[in-house]
Amino acid sequence: MIVRMAKIEVIGPKSLLDSVMGLIREMGLTQIEPSPCGFIEKEEERCITAFLPDEKTLRERFFLEDMLKRIKELLRVLPEIRPEKGMLSAVESGQFLEDISKVLSWSHRRAGELVAKKTGLKAEFEELKRYEEFLTAMASLLPYMKASPDVDFIGVTVKDASEIMFHLRALLSRLTEDRFEITSEELEDGTSACLISIPKAYSQAVRKALYSERVMELRLPESLAEKPFPEAVEIYSRRLMDIQREVDEADNELMRISTRWRPTFEACMRWIEERLLLISATSYVFETKRTFIICGWMPDEYVETLRERLDSEFSKSVVLEKKEIREEDMGRVPVTLKNPAYFQPFELFTRLLPLPKYTSYDPTVFVGIFFPVFFGMIFGDAGYGLILIAVAVFLYLKYRARRVISDASKILFISSINSIFFGVLYGEFFGDLGNKLFGMEPIYLERREAIIPLLFFALAVGLAHVIIGLLFGVVSAMRKKAASEAAAKGLYIVLVICIIILIASLAGIFPEFFSRPLLIIILILSPFLLFTGGLLAPLELLKTIGNIISYARIMAIGLTSVFLAFVANRIGGITGDIIVGILVGGLLHLINIVLGVFSPTIHSLRLHYVEFFSKFLEPGGRRYEPLKSPESISRRSTRD
Amino acid sequence: MEKVLIALAAALAIGLSALATAWAQSRIGSAGAGTLAEKPELSGTIIILVAIPETMVILGFVVATMILLMK
Repeated sequence: MIVRMAKIEVIGPKSLLDSVMGLIREMGLTQIEPSPCGFIEKEEERCITAFLPDEKTLRERFFLEDMLKRIKELLRVLPEIRPEKGMLSAVESGQFLEDISKVLSWSHRRAGELVAKKTGLKAEFEELKRYEEFLTAMASLLPYMKASPDVDFIGVTVKDASEIMFHLRALLSRLTEDRFEITSEELEDGTSACLISIPKAYSQAVRKALYSERVMELRLPESLAEKPFPEAVEIYSRRLMDIQREVDEADNELMRISTRWRPTFEACMRWIEERLLLISATSYVFETKRTFIICGWMPDEYVETLRERLDSEFSKSVVLEKKEIREEDMGRVPVTLKNPAYFQPFELFTRLLPLPKYTSYDPTVFVGIFFPVFFGMIFGDAGYGLILIAVAVFLYLKYRARRVISDASKILFISSINSIFFGVLYGEFFGDLGNKLFGMEPIYLERREAIIPLLFFALAVGLAHVIIGLLFGVVSAMRKKAASEAAAKGLYIVLVICIIILIASLAGIFPEFFSRPLLIIILILSPFLLFTGGLLAPLELLKTIGNIISYARIMAIGLTSVFLAFVANRIGGITGDIIVGILVGGLLHLINIVLGVFSPTIHSLRLHYVEFFSKFLEPGGRRYEPLKSPESISRRSTRD
Repeated sequence: MEKVLIALAAALAIGLSALATAWAQSRIGSAGAGTLAEKPELSGTIIILVAIPETMVILGFVVATMILLMK
């Protein structure tokens, strides 16, 4: 059901505004209206202005916004710790805000330094890591080289060592007069790292020759470039360890800050968010010289509760007035749905639809009534129904805390009961197994044989459903005082019934003498339809007839389920072995159940969304968003 | 010969409508998948949109059944 809302106005002395807003937020029931339109009469508008916060409030707002920004930045970089609740009540009530702000400044600056340091160290670490494989290989080769101050080392990487080494040796021999050493080691990527040692006097010539031969010399990172090769390798390994240690130190210090201050900052952030919410909500308030005026909406049933709280807490100096909701207000009335326990799970389906307008209907009730019936009509099998009940009970018991699964299991339970009911009507228990095992006979009709009667049954259900939808459309149009729309919908009802009876008369289902008067009625009413519904009305009439024919899916999808069950039993039977037969038949029945749950659900919903709701439901309602603390909002969304 | 023609007519009724539904669902399905990546909250609308062309094959099935059973 769409909750009945009340249009309210709260008026009191300006000095009490903060406390009144606090109470409204605490109760979490009032949606404050930012526009005075519809609340404040034209002649009163001159002496009423939007509430302007004083300098103190503005200062507080800027201070809190800045603090919140800094806390959020800090919390992003501080490590998570196990939440501890204890001595935070003072923080949560907003005391010591100045002191916390000082600590925040220090923590924010220090954490920023540590994070910047960590970032630099990590970048250096990544840079050095790129040389790890080569330098590790070089370090293993160094003991084989004779180190002396006159010797220079050149590290190169070559792709095909066996081929290039020969040419490299010849080149070095020519350039250095055989005064060189070269050793190599294969790297993981298939290339080879070579270490060349030569007298320093030849360094320049060798480097130039290597470059012209396109042998890539390894350039060490900037910090090591000037060092002799053996020293560079040693510094490299030491630096890697140093970086790791420094990163660990920075992490430890961040953890210390987090352990000491994170709970405090989090509590402070919650308080600031609530306070800012209140301050920003205050900007929707109006004022006169001495009083404030809060305009808004709240559920009608709670108006008295709010009035009593205001009276008791402010000694009747704050007045709550309930105003009349006028026709022009209807588009602005916020919409919230509240249903009895039986219908609540079905909100799972209606949440997929846009919110209906305040003057329209809550679709949940209709889905709650018709969906299980359609599901049962399509998936009517007593055996399958029993299995689905067991599945629904299992899901409910296992996932009771998770709202979506819990709601789905309740819907499945109700739908399964309908499956059993229609299964008994159709005489189906795992297809024709019930008939074979204990002589179960259909009470109403056997779907496998009576396909045409089943089609007419489905179309009759469609006719009834669409007519109900159109009737609601008429009521809805009358509530909106849209007479021509109501008349057009009424005419659709009459014409659809006439056309259906006419077709039935011509097909020989009804006596033929009906056809002539019906034809005359249709011809007489058609111009009125054009007059009330416009030029597109005939098209709409055709669409309505198409909608009714669409209900043939109840028969068609139901039949696929029946035949699959029948095939499962037949294939199980022809195996000739009782165990294999049960296994094969059981597997096919299982597939049928899985398909059978999915398909009827989608098609039943589609019949509602497309064929039924299009006749009367008006989407576009304004969501009810009362002023409440962020914590209670997040608690509610967690439950959802 | 008459039986063959009746069977062919029924097969065409269901076959062509199934092809049409498959084509429409493939187009709507791929567009819907793209939409869901951007706006997951539209899942309900997408399911409905994907289910809409199934009317064609269901009507094809009904026509095929009527061809076979109401001769």
